[in-house]
Amino acid sequence: MITSTAWKNVWRNKIRSLVVIISVTIGIFGGVFAVAVMNGAIEQRLEAALNTELGHIQISRPDFRENFDIHLRLDSITNLDKKILELNGVEAVTHRTIISAMANTATKSTGVQVIGIDPVQDKQVFSLGDKLIPGTGSYFADSNKRNPVYIGEDLAKELNIIRYVIAPATIDSLRNRDVPETVLSKLDGYQGRRFRNQASFTDALKDTLTKKEASKYGRKITEEAWSFRTRTRLTLTFLDRNNVQTGGMFRVAGIYDIKNKMYESSHVFVKNSDIGRLTGLGNEAFHKAVIRIGDIEQTRNITRQISENFPDLEVRSWKEISPEMAMMNDMVEQFYIVFMIIILAALAFGIVNTMLMVVLERTKELGMLTAIGMNKKRVFRMIMTESVFLSLIGGVTGMIISWGIIALTSRNGINFVKYGEGFEAMGFSAHIYPDISITFFIIVTILIVVTGILSSIYPALKALRLDPADALRTE
Amino acid sequence: MKVLEIKEVHKIYNSSEVKVHAVNGISIDFEEGEFAAIVGPSGSGKTTLLNMIGGLDNPTEGKILVNNTDLSTLKSSDLIDFRMKNIGFVFQSYNLIPVLTAKENVEFIMNLQKRSKKERNERTMELLNAVGLGERAESRPAKLSGGQQQRVAVARALASKPKFILADEPTANLDSKSTETLLEIMEELNREEKITFIFSTHDNRVVKKARRVVTIEDGKVISDETR
Repeated sequence: MITSTAWKNVWRNKIRSLVVIISVTIGIFGGVFAVAVMNGAIEQRLEAALNTELGHIQISRPDFRENFDIHLRLDSITNLDKKILELNGVEAVTHRTIISAMANTATKSTGVQVIGIDPVQDKQVFSLGDKLIPGTGSYFADSNKRNPVYIGEDLAKELNIIRYVIAPATIDSLRNRDVPETVLSKLDGYQGRRFRNQASFTDALKDTLTKKEASKYGRKITEEAWSFRTRTRLTLTFLDRNNVQTGGMFRVAGIYDIKNKMYESSHVFVKNSDIGRLTGLGNEAFHKAVIRIGDIEQTRNITRQISENFPDLEVRSWKEISPEMAMMNDMVEQFYIVFMIIILAALAFGIVNTMLMVVLERTKELGMLTAIGMNKKRVFRMIMTESVFLSLIGGVTGMIISWGIIALTSRNGINFVKYGEGFEAMGFSAHIYPDISITFFIIVTILIVVTGILSSIYPALKALRLDPADALRTE
Repeated sequence: MKVLEIKEVHKIYNSSEVKVHAVNGISIDFEEGEFAAIVGPSGSGKTTLLNMIGGLDNPTEGKILVNNTDLSTLKSSDLIDFRMKNIGFVFQSYNLIPVLTAKENVEFIMNLQKRSKKERNERTMELLNAVGLGERAESRPAKLSGGQQQRVAVARALASKPKFILADEPTANLDSKSTETLLEIMEELNREEKITFIFSTHDNRVVKKARRVVTIEDGKVISDETR
C-alpha cells in the first residue's frame, strides 16, 4: 500500500517529477556515455600498444635496457623459445635486434631505433603489418628485396619523405572543397610534375595563381596535393660489432600509422638478416624476445614463471615496461566510479530539493496520516520510496539510453578527427569505439539506488519532525 | 461504559511574552454511544481540547483516559498505534489522499493494520454503502463533491472500528443539503451501530441534532446539557 501510494504520489505533480526524472536521465546518460568513450579510447590505446609496440612480456639481458650495447644479446635462443612455448598460456614468441641509429635522407636526419625482425615470426606477436597506410607499400611482402625499411608516418613527415603532385584525383577533391574552376584550370598545367618539398610547390603555385587566389586556396591545394614518397632512399648509420661506424642504404617499403607520434617518429623496422649482415652480428643476434599470451590477466603469473626459469635474464611484463599504460588500465575503473559519484551527487541535490518541496506541500496531509495512525517508520518509508522511484525511473531510463547509444556507436565508432591531432599526439586513436563493462553498468545502477535512498533521508526526516497538530492547522 | 474521561485538564501555551491558558481545568466524561457537540466561540479552546482528546497534543496538567488508558503514559510511537485502533478523525477540510480512490482512502488504515484483503474489501464496501457512496468507490476525491468527500472521511474514520469519532467542524465547508445528509448518516451510525461521535462545531444544524451539548468559553466548561 505504501509503495503503491508512493508511486501514485510521484505522478501527483507530473511536470515537476518529469523535470527531475529527465535531469537524472540526462545526467546518467552523459556520465555513462562519457565514461564509455574514455574507456573505449583507453582500451583501444592499450590494445594498439600491446599489438604494435609492447607485446605482453619482453625478455632481454639485464643491462641491455640501460646502454643498448649491441653485444648484450640473448644466448641459445632455440632453447629459450622451447622453454617459453612450453608454458601454459603462451601463444607465440618473436625476437628482435635493436640498434640505435641515425636515419638520413638527402635533406634531413634524425635519431631512431632500428628494430630488426624476422617478418614471419614477428607477425605472430605483432600486427604492425595491418597498420600500413594504404598505398604506401606492403609489409615485408617481397622477401627477395634487399634492405626494405618500414617507418612511421611521423618520421616520414619529419624526414620530408613526401611529394606534391597535382593528379586528376587532386583536382576532383579540390572541386569538392569549393575551389573555383578558374583556379582549377590554372592547376591543370602542373599535372605530371612532382615537387619534392612544400617550398618548391608553393613557389610554383605563386607563378600561376594571383596573390589573392594563392592566399585563399593555397592551403587547400597543398593539403590535397601531398602524398608519401615511397621507395625513397633512407640511409641508416650505426655502430657495428667492433664499434666502428657503419651503415646501409635502405628503401622505404611502407609507412605505418599507429596513432602514436612518439613511437612513429623513433622506430623503424628492417629485416633482421639485413641488420645482422651490416653489423656483422649475423642472423641469430637478438637482443629481445617478445611474448604474446592468450589471456592478459595471466601476464603477472607467466612473467613470474619465466623469471624463475631464466634468473639471469630481465623479464618484464607490459605493465613494467609501460607503467603509464598499466596505471591507466588499473585506475580507470576507480576513476569512472568517482566521476559517476560526482554526477550523482549533483543529481541528488535536485532530488533533495524536489522532495523538500513535496514535504512542504503535503504538510497537512502528512499530519493527517500521522493523526489517523500512520507511524513514523511508514511516513519515512513513503517519502523514501518516492525519492527512490524518482531517481530509479530517471536512472534506469538513462542507463537504457546509454546502453542503446553505446551499442550503436560502438559498431562504427565516433570520429573525433577534428581533434585528432591532440588525440594522436598522446597515442590515442581519433576514431573511438565506446565500450563499457557490465560490472560498471551494475555498479552505476547500485549507485543510483544508493543516491535515491541517501537523497531521501533529509526530506523524510523533515516529514518525521512534523507535529501532527501543527501540521493539520496549516493551510 | 465510559469511553472518554477528561480529568482537570489544563493547557498553557508559553509564548515569549504572555502565557495563554487555552484550556483551564476541564473535566468531562463521555459514555459509549453518545452523540455530543462541543460548542463555543473561536478561541474558546475547542480545537485545543479536541487535539488533546485525540492524543495529538499533551495537556500541561490533568489526565485524559480513553477506554481507561491514560494517554500521557503512552510513548509517542504507542500513541500513534493507540490512535489508529481507538480514535477516528474527521477533519474540517476532509483531508483525503488525492491520489487514492474513495475505496483506497477508506482501506488505508486497514492496510496499515495488515488486515486480510477479503476483510478489507468487505469492510470498505460496507462502510461506503453505509455513507451512501458504494457506487463511487473507484472515484478519486477530486471527482467527488465536498459532502461526498466528507462522507468518505467518515467511512475512513470508522474503518478501524474506533471507540469514538472526533469530528472537528465537519460541516464547516458544506452546503446545507450535504450537511443534512452527512448528519443523517452519522446519526444512523450512532443509533444502529452505537458509534460514539464527539463534534466540535459552531454549526447550529449540528448542535440541533446533538443529544448532548458541552459549551466552552475561555477554556472552561460553562454548560453541559443533555437532551
